[in-house]
Amino acid sequence: MNHPQIAAFARLAKENSLPTRALEGQKTKISRTMHALAYDSVHDEIIVNSPLAQAILIFRGGANGEEPPVRVIQGPRTQIQGTDYDGNDQMAYDDVHGEIYIPVDRNKILTFSREANGDVPPLRVLTGPDTGIRGSVRGHARVGVDPVHNLLIVTSPAAPGSNAGASMLIFDRTANGNVKPKSIINGPKTEVGGGSAAHAATDKGFIIAGCGTASVCAWGINDKGNVPPRWKIPVQQITGVAPSGIALDPAHKEVIVTSGNRNRVMTFSWPEVF
Amino acid sequence: MRGRIDSRALFAVAVTIATFTVWSSSTRAPDVETGYSGRLVSIQSLQTDFGDMCYAERIDPFERNAAVPAGNLFNAFDDTAHAAAQSTGNGVEIARPPVRTIRDTYPIYSSIAVDTQFNEIALQDTNLFGIKVFNRLENTPAGVEASKPTRVIEGRETDLEYNNGLYIDPKNGDIYSVASDTADNLIVFPRSASGNAPPSRQLKTPHRNFATAVDEEKGEVFITIQYPPKVVVYRKQAAGTEQPLRVLEGPRTGLSDAHGMAIDVQKKLLFVSNWGNSSDYQVAGSGQFHLPSITVYPLDAKGDTPPLRTIQGPKTQLDWAAAMAIDPEAGYVFMANDLGDSIIGFKETDDGDVAPSRIIKGDKTGLKNPTGVAVDGKNKELWVSSLGNSSASAFPLSANGDVAPVRTIRSAPAARTSVKFGKPQAVAYDSKREEYLVPN
Repeated sequence: MNHPQIAAFARLAKENSLPTRALEGQKTKISRTMHALAYDSVHDEIIVNSPLAQAILIFRGGANGEEPPVRVIQGPRTQIQGTDYDGNDQMAYDDVHGEIYIPVDRNKILTFSREANGDVPPLRVLTGPDTGIRGSVRGHARVGVDPVHNLLIVTSPAAPGSNAGASMLIFDRTANGNVKPKSIINGPKTEVGGGSAAHAATDKGFIIAGCGTASVCAWGINDKGNVPPRWKIPVQQITGVAPSGIALDPAHKEVIVTSGNRNRVMTFSWPEVF
Repeated sequence: MRGRIDSRALFAVAVTIATFTVWSSSTRAPDVETGYSGRLVSIQSLQTDFGDMCYAERIDPFERNAAVPAGNLFNAFDDTAHAAAQSTGNGVEIARPPVRTIRDTYPIYSSIAVDTQFNEIALQDTNLFGIKVFNRLENTPAGVEASKPTRVIEGRETDLEYNNGLYIDPKNGDIYSVASDTADNLIVFPRSASGNAPPSRQLKTPHRNFATAVDEEKGEVFITIQYPPKVVVYRKQAAGTEQPLRVLEGPRTGLSDAHGMAIDVQKKLLFVSNWGNSSDYQVAGSGQFHLPSITVYPLDAKGDTPPLRTIQGPKTQLDWAAAMAIDPEAGYVFMANDLGDSIIGFKETDDGDVAPSRIIKGDKTGLKNPTGVAVDGKNKELWVSSLGNSSASAFPLSANGDVAPVRTIRSAPAARTSVKFGKPQAVAYDSKREEYLVPN
């Protein structure tokens, strides 16, 4: 990939629709491998990882062209660390409490204030053997946040050599240090582990994430143990392409799904989860 | 008669889809607290890891359901929703198709190479995943939507996905291509390759290849690795898991998010363009942003060798500089300057904060986000591929300023700009503007 833009498309855009604007160029400091992105609807800002420079970039919500970020979180005190393969590529944002969650070093979740700028330490560091947080072979765990029910949702793959399957670890949103999750969704029925981070459909209490067999699944926030997803869109079976990233549009009861490997952005109507 | 049958068939399909849509939309959601009864719809194997985000799907984009295992019970159903409950071991499957899909149906060209022996141009398409080959003298007439390639290498057997740097062997026409995202390899096709043809040779490489070049005298192939930044040098005929002959990497090299590369075998020089995104992945908080640069090394540099010279600074105009090409006779190194919508040329001897000696830029050029550049020394032409408008243009090798190309090969209507997708892995929803934010 040789053009790491952030393109904005009208919600009703379709095949061959052009972006309304694109954030791109050297001054933006954006680079390849942006596997996570968030929009802050409260403060009208865009938050994105800088995967190769161990940084978080915050832009104006309407940023366009070669516009620099308004804030950059980067430096030794931040503890931000990528891997050789995926870099610093994962992140989740809580626009209710104004906090940024970054999984790093395979088994840590760092939390920063949205107002952080420069070389600042994280507000909290969730890590330790009791947490059960693990990264993948070459990358990080996935993280999501439910600001209404105050939950932090971490998707971790199985331990090396284990056939226990990936787990969805559900913590208190403000969990700090070496603490156990409140609940764990794990087992052969769960299908946890599709790659995409978790997103919260808060009104009905669903957790939406990528899941097995190239699908997008919904679990309940109170689910635990070996339970199947409550809803499932078998994206690859329907469209022929596997899902990558996910975003929710509760107002229109739609789920937006990208196919990173096939250059597509697909919108599914999913009123059942909103 | 045929039209009437097709109409009736289409109507029947539409009624079927509408029925399923209404039924599935009205299917009661399993209550989060209690669930409800239903029936088993599938049995699936346990997923033990969600893998890495840059792994390839290895499916044929043109074959629906291609990757669904034969034993998967979903194969028994077709676009339907089937209700079940957690209490019985399954939830509800929604099988409604997407209501909208954003995609670009035209090629997005990342790289270009010239075959002067067989008079051909090869273009790397990172949208539809293939290599399109045109006659070198092709010039798409005004009013024609697109030129037809003389051959296309495309399909699941080719292993082409998000490929980038192209090189054509001047003796036999072999096409070299490096994977810049999912595949981590260098693949080689014979000149005769066409259609869904497997590469004749594959070499496993590190992740994040960008550019490639070959020293034909010494029989060595060079590849830039974006991150962790390095230049790896293999035997030209290397295959499989053969290890590099040497590797240029380390903090003293000045490499940072390495991209384009060019070699001058006469002057024994190696040129690399850097975007400046830097960190040591083994050290937390070590990230830094540097100004973009061109670093120059001895051709046989290895290890943590510092550059002989560094072109860097505000005068350079470097802005996401992608591919590089050398005109050794004139002593210029050209950069496809993506965000500058320009080709910029530096003297091979330039050093420090210097302005480019040559700039091809302006409305007449037709350049839009150029990321590929190649020098045709035999015909004295400079070829440029534009990622932003699905085209490739030939300029006189001495071109400078706002000049029109002598020929342009278009693969999309004139004046159409590209969506510029390149592995859109994530997405966010801007609820204020009702827009999708899609990073590459």
